[in-house]
Amino acid sequence: MSRVHYGTRAVNRLSRRRVLAIAATVGVGVSAAGVAGLSLAGEKDSNDTEPLVLSLRDAKKGTFDVFSGGSKVTLTDKDLAKKLLKAVKRA
Amino acid sequence: MSSHREAPEISKDPVADSADLYAFVSPDHPDTVTLIANYVPLQLPASGPNFFEFGDDVLYEIHVDKNGDGRPDLTYQFRFRTELRNDRTFLYNTGPIESLDSENWNRRQFYSVTKVDASGKRYVLAEKLPCPPCNVGPLSIPDYDKLAEDAVHKLKSGEKVFAGQRADPFFVDLGAIFDLGTLRPFQDKHLVGQKLFNYAGKAVNATDKLNVHSIAIQVPLYDVRKDGKKKVRGRDKEAVIGVWTSASRRQVEVRHGKKDNADVYVGPQVQVSRLGNPLFNEVIVPMAQKDLWNSLPPSEDKRFAEFVEQPELAALLPVLYPGLFDRLADLNKAKTARADLLAILLTGIPDGLIDGFQNNTGETQADMLRLNTAIPPTTKDANKFGLLGGDLAGFPNGRRVADDVVSISLRAIAGVTVPLVDEKFKPDDAAALVEQGLSAKDASSKLLNEFPYLGVPFDGFNNPGAADKK
Repeated sequence: MSRVHYGTRAVNRLSRRRVLAIAATVGVGVSAAGVAGLSLAGEKDSNDTEPLVLSLRDAKKGTFDVFSGGSKVTLTDKDLAKKLLKAVKRA
Repeated sequence: MSSHREAPEISKDPVADSADLYAFVSPDHPDTVTLIANYVPLQLPASGPNFFEFGDDVLYEIHVDKNGDGRPDLTYQFRFRTELRNDRTFLYNTGPIESLDSENWNRRQFYSVTKVDASGKRYVLAEKLPCPPCNVGPLSIPDYDKLAEDAVHKLKSGEKVFAGQRADPFFVDLGAIFDLGTLRPFQDKHLVGQKLFNYAGKAVNATDKLNVHSIAIQVPLYDVRKDGKKKVRGRDKEAVIGVWTSASRRQVEVRHGKKDNADVYVGPQVQVSRLGNPLFNEVIVPMAQKDLWNSLPPSEDKRFAEFVEQPELAALLPVLYPGLFDRLADLNKAKTARADLLAILLTGIPDGLIDGFQNNTGETQADMLRLNTAIPPTTKDANKFGLLGGDLAGFPNGRRVADDVVSISLRAIAGVTVPLVDEKFKPDDAAALVEQGLSAKDASSKLLNEFPYLGVPFDGFNNPGAADKK
């Protein structure tokens, strides 16, 4: 299985296809565009203390996959995309 | 091999790699079916200090299709959790392990069993069931057999389960087969081999004296049949089930992603390994699509049907063994779609082709082990060639542990099953003779007569064996 290594020190290597681990306290307004994936039966949902993982799938459109617990939600937020790209000096 | 390291990606992830799958009516309890999925292949018994184990981050599943649509109607899920007793030692065990709750056993694994029905409703059947330890050696584990017996659990819901290390019962001459398709008994007939050998060789069991981790479950027949029927006839479609196993991982892993430096596993489970019929992904699916195949459910297998219709191996046999497979060569040249292989591997054999037998599940093309649960087990003189040897209880009617699936598959691909769909076709004489030259007797570990049937794992002290052993 391919493994992906990402941590706080990898932020400066963040790319569109890579995954950014951020705390679950993203204080921006986002709208869920739809559930892109469902967990299998038997998978526990995460609680508030568990990290969620945000993947910027399409920087231009601001399309994110948000992985939390056993689920994946797709959402769109261009402002957040810009903010993150700026943070990793890609904007 | 059957499915050990059969695809590029999963070969790098042994903990999630399904190696073999067996499904058979239990010979000692013919009112039940036994399903065994082997993972973590090719274990060297002497593997301390970190002995092999299931993955806590892997979801292992055994699926049953009751209605032939290539989708699960019954799934058993197995989740594992590892616990350390002593955080001040580097050792697996600090003294003899004489019971499953031994204080001397440092690194233990437990598992839960969850049943999921056709509607997705889940039932946790058991939690914190102990696995047996790995077979470290006779000093560490004086009575391994007893310990393993204690790790067979009877569930209140009627199933019997076992999860832990076993001797790998699969036998295959891997070294020869993947050295340009050599079969040692016929090496002097091989295109290249005839320049090297003027005698028939003796096959080598490449998986002998290696261990695997097995997940075994014995289920009442009525639980796996459509509508929960207790009695069915062999001709009834309700008699036939489809079985496959899969392993899945969370879509995202972040190493050291938590505050305490622990890893983060989030997102939906994504399938990374699958196994139904032995050798399907290994020798039917092209390498470029093997990883894709592992990610898909059987209901998607129509897209691989072209590789069953014109298998690459059928084209290679006449080239590798000149003059022995001329009729097969003609069949290949005519681009005849192999309806016999499509039936055996993707839809099951319909009624009327073999006296007293069918394991057809309808039109959906799906790679599953298809078992007619109304066929009674063969309790005496089982034939290692299964259905091809006239033994209706053997592969490709499900799969028993001692079935020589390599040779059965070779013979089928060589054309011996073509007459099932074309009475005029006369197979090459070699098609009925070709085999790898091994049987279950070539495996050093003896099978058990009762659940979980697979032999006691080889111990690390004696395997590899000492040179001065008497």
